[in-house]
Amino acid sequence: MANTACFMIVSKNDIPIYEAEVGTVPKKEDAAHQHQFILHAALDIVQDMAWTTSAMFLKAIDRFNDLVVSVYIKVIHTRLMLLHDSRNDDGIKSFFQEVHELYIKTLLNPLYLPGSRITSSHFDTKVRALARKYL
Amino acid sequence: MVREVAESCVESLMAEIVSSYCKGVYANKPELAAPRIEAIGFQVGHRLSERYTMDRPRFTDHLEAIKFICKDFWSDLFKKQIDNLKTNHRGTFVLQDNRFRWLAHMSVDPSLVTSGSIQDPSAMAENEAAQATGLHLYFPCGIIRGALSNLGIPCAVSADISNLPACSFVVRIKV
Repeated sequence: MANTACFMIVSKNDIPIYEAEVGTVPKKEDAAHQHQFILHAALDIVQDMAWTTSAMFLKAIDRFNDLVVSVYIKVIHTRLMLLHDSRNDDGIKSFFQEVHELYIKTLLNPLYLPGSRITSSHFDTKVRALARKYL
Repeated sequence: MVREVAESCVESLMAEIVSSYCKGVYANKPELAAPRIEAIGFQVGHRLSERYTMDRPRFTDHLEAIKFICKDFWSDLFKKQIDNLKTNHRGTFVLQDNRFRWLAHMSVDPSLVTSGSIQDPSAMAENEAAQATGLHLYFPCGIIRGALSNLGIPCAVSADISNLPACSFVVRIKV
């Protein structure tokens, strides 16, 4: 399934603690930077919408060219953001839920300081496997 | 498969944390032990609240979050809910637990009261008891503070033990 996607976990103070390009299409160098820029620009919109709804999953909050940003908010601080161009909403929701569980497992590690970058290669491998499965 | 631990292990661990921090690590400066224990409780509360709020939608206001702490969070931790919740609607909440589980099995030895004091011995005994058990309450205060800060509510939590085994936790939300 050919689609571009960029996945980012943003913590408190808007610092990204994890990012991954999970698309299957080979991208040019500047496209990767553009993806990060789009996701950061969407953070303001996320903030506004977070106050209006108490649901966790906000789909399609921003559009840029053909790319759509979907966000899964956990308890105000941590946001899982995904930039994608397909219309696979259910798959995206399941993807977010699985990554949420992975993130909680990472947090339960007493040696992990909440808010710091996630550098575990195990986490990285699992996120990419989940992305291939659901996206 | 859920792994279970005997509750007596948890209580012994709590008691040992307090005694080793007060007498071992910070033997020269016992007033530093309390913030340290509270910080440990903060991290634990942070992680616990992440785990317990996994499936539920986010909270709309402070009262909802406090009610979550009183009901679900407390019953997951201590197998019972908070017995009484009072608020002044200006950011202060008092959570009262009539039989706090971790203190329920603690008793204070009345013979620890030093003889030869002019004061009323029963008042002295209560004072000693209050001081000794006060140290054990820093950890739960930290847990509550960590859980609330993860829900987006920065606050300060203190404990009040006027009559054991009931204890109340005063939560002051920072505006």
